[in-house]
Amino acid sequence: MKKSIIFSIALSLGAFSCSDDFLTVVPETALSSATFFKTESDFIQAANGAYAPLRTLHNINSHYLAEQHSDNARYVRNILFGATENQSNLADFNVPTANGITTNSNVLTAYRQNYLIIARANQILALIDAATIPDATKKNVKGQALFLRALSYLELARYFNRAPLQLTPVSNRSEAAAPLAEASQLYDQIIKDATEAVGLLPAKSAQEAGRATSGAARALLANAYIIQKKWAEAETQLRAIVTSNEYSLMPTYADAFSTSTSNKNNKESVFEVQFLEGSQGLNGNFLYSMIPFPIAANELVTITGTTNPQPLSGEGNNIPTPDLIEAYEAGDARKDATIAYITLSGALHANKTFPYIKKYAKPHALHNNHGTNWPIYRYSEVLLFLAEALVEQNKLADALPFINQVRTRAGLPNATVGSQAAMRDLVYKERRVELAFESKRLHDLVRTGRLETVIKAYGDRVKANKARYYFPAEGFVPGDAFTNISPYYGLPAAEADLSPNF
Amino acid sequence: MEQRSILLKRGLWGSSFILALVMFFSSTSFAQKTVQGKVTGQEGEALAGVSVAVKGTTKGTTTDGNGSYKLDVAESATLVFSYIGYTAKEVQVGNQSTLNVTLSTDNKILNEIVVVGYGSQVKKEVTGAVQTITSKEIKDIPVSQIAQKLQGQVAGVQINQTTGRPGQGMNVRIRGQLSVTAGSDPLYVIDGFPITGNIGAINPDEIEDISILKDAASTSLYGSRAANGVVLITTKRGKSGQTNVSLNVFTGTQVVPKKGRFEMMDAVEFAQFKKEYYEDQGSPVPVEFQNPSQYEGKNNDWYDALLRRAPVQSYNLTVTSNKDRVNTSVVAGVFNQQGVVLNTKYQRYSLRLNSEYKVSDKVTLGVNIAPNYVFDNTPRTDGDRGTGILFNAIHTWPVMPIRDEKGELTLFNRFPSSTGNIFAYPNWVRAAYELVNETRQVNLLSNAFVAYSPIKGLTFKSSMNVELLNQKFFFFNPSTATNAINTAIPVTANTIREYTDDLGWLNENLATYSKSFNNHNFELLAGYTNQSYRRETSRIQADTYADDRLPTIQGAININRGGTNSNVQEWRLTSLLSRLTYNYKGKYLFTASIRRDGSSRFGSNNRWGTFPSLSAGWVLSDEDFMKQYGVISFAKLRASIGVTGNNNIGNYTQYALINNTVNVAFGNNVAAGAVVSSLANSNLGWETTRQIDLGFDLGFLNDRFQFTYDYYLKNTTNLLYAVQIPQESGFGNFNDNIGEIKFWGHEFSLNSRIIDRKLKWNANANISFNRNKVIALAEGIDRVYGLHHITRVGYPFGQFYGHLANGVYKNAEDLKNSPVVPGRSTIGSIKLVDVNGDGVLTNGGDKDDRTILGNPFPKFTYGITTNLSYGNFDFSVVGSGSQGNQLWVRHLYSTANLDGVFNLHREVKYRWRSEANPGKGFYGTTVGGGTVTGIERDWQNSRFVADASFFTIKNITLGYTFNKPNKLFRSARLYASIQQAFVFTKYWGGSNPETSAQQNGAGDGGNLSPGVDLFNYPVPRTSTLGVNFNF
Repeated sequence: MKKSIIFSIALSLGAFSCSDDFLTVVPETALSSATFFKTESDFIQAANGAYAPLRTLHNINSHYLAEQHSDNARYVRNILFGATENQSNLADFNVPTANGITTNSNVLTAYRQNYLIIARANQILALIDAATIPDATKKNVKGQALFLRALSYLELARYFNRAPLQLTPVSNRSEAAAPLAEASQLYDQIIKDATEAVGLLPAKSAQEAGRATSGAARALLANAYIIQKKWAEAETQLRAIVTSNEYSLMPTYADAFSTSTSNKNNKESVFEVQFLEGSQGLNGNFLYSMIPFPIAANELVTITGTTNPQPLSGEGNNIPTPDLIEAYEAGDARKDATIAYITLSGALHANKTFPYIKKYAKPHALHNNHGTNWPIYRYSEVLLFLAEALVEQNKLADALPFINQVRTRAGLPNATVGSQAAMRDLVYKERRVELAFESKRLHDLVRTGRLETVIKAYGDRVKANKARYYFPAEGFVPGDAFTNISPYYGLPAAEADLSPNF
Repeated sequence: MEQRSILLKRGLWGSSFILALVMFFSSTSFAQKTVQGKVTGQEGEALAGVSVAVKGTTKGTTTDGNGSYKLDVAESATLVFSYIGYTAKEVQVGNQSTLNVTLSTDNKILNEIVVVGYGSQVKKEVTGAVQTITSKEIKDIPVSQIAQKLQGQVAGVQINQTTGRPGQGMNVRIRGQLSVTAGSDPLYVIDGFPITGNIGAINPDEIEDISILKDAASTSLYGSRAANGVVLITTKRGKSGQTNVSLNVFTGTQVVPKKGRFEMMDAVEFAQFKKEYYEDQGSPVPVEFQNPSQYEGKNNDWYDALLRRAPVQSYNLTVTSNKDRVNTSVVAGVFNQQGVVLNTKYQRYSLRLNSEYKVSDKVTLGVNIAPNYVFDNTPRTDGDRGTGILFNAIHTWPVMPIRDEKGELTLFNRFPSSTGNIFAYPNWVRAAYELVNETRQVNLLSNAFVAYSPIKGLTFKSSMNVELLNQKFFFFNPSTATNAINTAIPVTANTIREYTDDLGWLNENLATYSKSFNNHNFELLAGYTNQSYRRETSRIQADTYADDRLPTIQGAININRGGTNSNVQEWRLTSLLSRLTYNYKGKYLFTASIRRDGSSRFGSNNRWGTFPSLSAGWVLSDEDFMKQYGVISFAKLRASIGVTGNNNIGNYTQYALINNTVNVAFGNNVAAGAVVSSLANSNLGWETTRQIDLGFDLGFLNDRFQFTYDYYLKNTTNLLYAVQIPQESGFGNFNDNIGEIKFWGHEFSLNSRIIDRKLKWNANANISFNRNKVIALAEGIDRVYGLHHITRVGYPFGQFYGHLANGVYKNAEDLKNSPVVPGRSTIGSIKLVDVNGDGVLTNGGDKDDRTILGNPFPKFTYGITTNLSYGNFDFSVVGSGSQGNQLWVRHLYSTANLDGVFNLHREVKYRWRSEANPGKGFYGTTVGGGTVTGIERDWQNSRFVADASFFTIKNITLGYTFNKPNKLFRSARLYASIQQAFVFTKYWGGSNPETSAQQNGAGDGGNLSPGVDLFNYPVPRTSTLGVNFNF
C-alpha cells in the first residue's frame, strides 16, 4: 500500500515537473497561424481563400447596388411582404443616409466582403517575400494577391469614394481601425498594386483558367485610369490587351456568358467570378434574385430548367426597366439574349407578364443552385473602354473600329464617325446594352457625371406611371423616392459604430 | 445476509475474525447475563441497525430487521443506543433482562455532517454559504433529472425547466451568475470528481445527498471553475452495521393540460379573418374564404394533433450493506418515458456500484463504478422560427387538413397563392412520426481511491477518476416529411450521423491533517491534482436517397461535405490546493483556502490563476450571555470573501486559427483555400469573480424553527467577449477579457417543524432576490445587442429592447397629432412612443426611438415545501415561483403577422378594423400590407414582452406506509403524486413561463438574449402511482 502511495506521489511530481508540456494543447483539427504560411501549397491555398468573397460580392450583392440602383432594373414589391426596404430603397433612390452613414444591409455586405479580400491579400503580401518557395509560384501568388486587393479597393472607391486604407495584416485590437483615405489615395494604391500585378502575373494562356492574369490586371488598371480620366494611360493598357492576342469576342453574344457547367472562362472572358453547381458550397443562386415573384413551380422551371423546381414567393428584384428595353436598337441581337418575358399566374398585378434577365438564365440541375460564372471584365468591355479612351482623346476614327467590332457581333450595322459628343453618347449607349446587368450601370453614370440628370428624369417617369414600373395596384411610390440621388453610398452604420474614424 | 458476510470475512480476513473471537472470549470471564429487547422510534416503528454498545468497552451489537437485539453483559454495564438521526440513549442494565428502548429523533440537525469541497464538516462549524438536500427530501418527485427535483428547494438557486423534452433542458443558475459568452452552469462534482458533462443522465436514485456551494469561501477550492457555484453530489453508501434492500417503482401518465396553451384561431375564425382581410382592403374575397362557416366542424388543431397522453415508468433496486470492513451499495435503475409529443421517447438503464474496503485501521480502498445507457428520440420538436415542429404547428392554417378523405396523413398543404398562402406547410404529424432524431449514450463514471492514515489525524488520499462517454446521434429526414416550414414534399431525404467519444480523467492527491489541543481545533488540507479531458467527434451528413427504407451512408447519392467533419476538443488542468480550518471550542471559526490552476485554455502569457478565500464564523449561541435568551437555541454569524474563476472560455480561443475549408472553384475544378479566421490572444484568461458573503443562521425553540439569511455581493471581471472590431481588419472580433458585472442579492430560508406529535407538520420556505448590473464593457463600447436585447453599461444585463407600443392611431386627428413613421403609419396602424421627442418614429441609427422594454430576470424567486404526516399517512407539496420576470414572445412576430401569412393568435380577432370597430387597441389594421403592418411586426416593440411571473405547484404527493406487512419486507409505502400539478401565471405567450431560449445555443443570440420563448416542448403534468418496498 505504501508502495502505491509512493508511486502515486511520484507520478504526480513527474506530471508536475513537465506541467508546461501538459498544459499545452494545440488544436488538432485546425491549423494555427503559427504553423501556416510556410510551404508553396500554403501560399496557393491562401491565395485561393482570397478569391472566395468574390462569390458573395457578385452573387446577390453587386447587381443590387449597381444595377437595381440605376435606371436598368426595378424592384417588384409583393405587398404581402414587409422587411424588404434594403432592396426597395436601392431601386427607389431613398436609401436612408445621414452624415455619410447608411444602414442599408447590401452596402454593409459590399464593404465587409471587400475588406475580407483585402485582409487575406495583406496576409499573403506581408509574408510572401520572405518565404522560401519557388520563384514562379511566388510571383504568381503575389500578383494574384495584388490584383485582388486592387480590385477590392476599386470597388470600395466606386461605392464610397473614401475608405480606410489597410495594407498590412491586423494582429490585435488596436490595429483594427485605420483612418479614412480619400479617393485619390485609394486610386494611387489601386494603380500601384495593379501595375505591379501586371508585371507579376502570367498571360491568360499561361495561367490556370479562372485566376487573375496580366490581362485582367491591365483591364483593372485601365478601369482605374478611366475613372480618373487618365485616357492616355488607359489607352496604353487596353491596347496591350488587344495586341496580346489572348482574347477575342465570342461569335454570338449569348455565348459570351458561361452556362452552369461549361463555356466558362471563354476567350472573351478577361476575368470572371467562378461558381460551381453542386453541394460543395461554391455555387451561386443569383438567378433566383432576378426573377419576378410569386412564381409557381411550373413557371419557374421554364427559366431554370431544374428537375425539382419549387414555387417562390417574396419580393422580386432586378426586373428590367422599360427604359432599358427601349435602349436597344431595332435588330440588336443582344436584346433577346438579355431579356425575356414570363407570365405569372399568381402575380398581384393587372399585367401579369414581366420581363426578366435572360443572359444568366442557364438551365441547371438543382433548385436554387447554379454554376454560372459572373463576368467582371469581358473583352467587349475592353474594346468599349478603348473606344472611350480614344474618343476622349478626340481620336474619333481610331475609336470607331472597336465600337463596330462590338456592334457587328450584335448584328447591328457599323456606326460612322460623328462628333466627339455623338461618339461619346454612342459608347455610353453601347456600354449600357452590351454590359446590362453586369453591375456596371451605376458606376458608368457616376464616373461620366450623368447620374443626377439621368436618374431624376427616370424618377419622374416612375412616379408618373407606377404600373409601367411594376407597382401592384395597391402599391405606391414611396413619398421619399428619388430624394437620395448621390453618386456614392454612405459608409455602413454598423462599421461606423465600430470605427473611431467615421 | 449476516451469515454470508461472516463467511466472506472468514474467507478473506481470517485473522481479524480470530481477533474478534479472542475479544469475545476474553470478555466472557466476567459475571454475565443476557439482555434482549427491541428498539423503536417514537411512533413505535422498529429501528433496524441501531448500534447497541456497552459503555467503556468495544463490545456491542446492532439491532436486526425487527429492531431486536440480544447481548451478553455484566449487570453493572451501561448500554449506549445510538442511531443516525436520533438522540443517543444510555440505559443501565441492572437486573433487567428485557430492555426495550424508544429513541427520539435528534432535532439538533446542526450536528449533521455536511459535505463540502474536498471534505466534510459538522454543519454547525460551516462558515460558507452551503445548502444541503438529502435524497429523503426529494424522493417522491417522479422525474428523470436531479435538477428537476431541486426546483424550489434551494435559496439562491434558480432552476428553470426551459423545455419539456424528456431528459433535457434544465437551466441551473446559482446566485444569478451569468456571462456574456462563457458558460454559466455550475460545476458538478460527483463523489469528488468534477465532471465535464451535465448531470441530466444520472439516475437521481443513486444520490444520497447534494450540497450546493454558493459563496466564494465554499467554492474557491474549485478555483477557475467555481464562479458559477458548485454542486457536490454524494452517491449512496451503506449505513453503518446495516444491510438494506429497497425497491422503488412508479408508473404514471403525462398530459399537456388544455389550460395555459397559446390560443390560436380555429378554422372558422381563421377563414373569417381572411375574409375580413380582403374586405377591409377592398379586394375580392378568394372563394376559399367567402363562407367561413363551411369550416364548421372541420378545424385542424395542428398543435393538439402532435400531443398525446404518454406513460412513464421507473424501477430502482437499491442494495446497501455496511458490515465489518466492507461497505457496498448497488443501485440499478430503469427509467422509461414516452413523451407527450408523438414519437418522443427517453430511456435510461443505469447501474452504480460503490464499494469501500477497510484493509486495516490505516488503509482504506474504494471503487465506484456507474455505467449507464440513455436512449433519446425527439423528432425536432424544439427550434427557432421555422424549424421546430411545435412552433410550425401553431403557424399552420387550421383550414389545412391533417388527414385526407381516406384518413391518411397528408404530405403537405398549400392553398392557391391568390389566398395569400406563401409557404408550403409540410404535415407536422407525419414529421413527428417519420423523422428520426435519436441519441444513444453510454456513460461511465468511475473512481478508485486509496486512503492511508499513518498516524492519528493524518490521512493521505490518492484517487483516479475516469469518465467515459460514447454517443451516437442519428438524424433521418425521409423524403415524405420535414421539420422545416416552406418546404414542399417530397424533400431530398438526408441523414446526419455523429459519433462522439469522450475520455476524461482526474488524478487527485490529498493530504489532511487534523489536530486538537486545549479546545483549539485545526485541520490542514493540501492537494495536487491533474485533470484532462478529450472529446473526439465525427459527423457524416449525406443526402439524396433512392429509397427511404435504407438511410445508410452508402445508400446516399451525395455526401454533404459541408456537414461532414471530424473534430477534437481537449483541455488539461493542473492544480495545487490548500485549506486551513481552525476553530476554538467550535465557537470561533476560521477557514482560509487557496487554489492555483494552470489551464491549457489560458493564453501562454497568462497560464496560471490563483483563487484564495477567507471566511469566519461565530457561534453566538455558545456564548454565556446568550443563554438568557432561551427561545434562541442556535445563532451563528458568518462572513466570507474570496475569488473564483470561470474557465468556460472555449478550448482553443487563444489561438489564431486557419480555416482551410474556404474553397474556391477555378473553372469546374475545386481548389482548396485557407484563410486566417481568428486573431490570437496569448493573454486570454479566465473570468474572475470576487465575492463577499454575510449571513447568519438562527434556531428557535430547540431548533424547531431554523432561519438562514445570506447577503452576497459579487463582481465578475475579465469577461470573455469577442469584442467587435472594425471589419476593415478582415476580422469581426477579437477574443478578450473585458468588462465588469456586479451581482448582489439576499437569500432567506426557513425550515420548521411546526407540529411534531403524532401529527407532524414540517414546512420549509425560501426566497431569493438576485440583482445584476453591468458596470463596464470593453473600452469604447457601452452596449452590446442580443436578439431582442440590449446589455448596456449602468443597466441590468440582457434587457428587452425595442419600441414602446402605444396602441393604434384611432383616427385622422390622432394620426396627425402623433409621431409617425413617415410614409408608413396609417389610421389604425400601431402607434409607438417617440422616445427622443423629434416628432418622427425611427428604428435604429442616430435618431433611434428604441428603449429598454423589460427584464427577463425575476424580482425574486421562491420555493415552498411542506410535509404532513399522521400515523401511516404522509402528504407533501412542493411549490416553486418566480416574480417579475418577463418573456419575449418571439413567435408573435409570425402568429400575429397581420398579413395573414400564418394562422393567427386568437386575440387578433380584436384588431383595429375601422373607427367604428377599433377592437381592443392592441393589434392594428391589416390594410396596407407590409409597408404598414411591417412596423408592428418587424420593429421590435413592447407588444412582444409578456409578464412571465409564475407560481407552480411542482409536486403533490400522498403516501401510506405499511409497517411489517409480511415476512418478505420490512415496510412498504404506497404513494400517488402529481408533478407539475398547477401553474399559476398570467403569461399568455405559451404554456411554459419557465422557458428560455438561452439553452439552445447558437442562432438565438446566446447568453445576451435571455428569456425568449421559442415555443418549446411543453412541460407535461404527470400523475403517478408509486411503491417503495424495504426488504
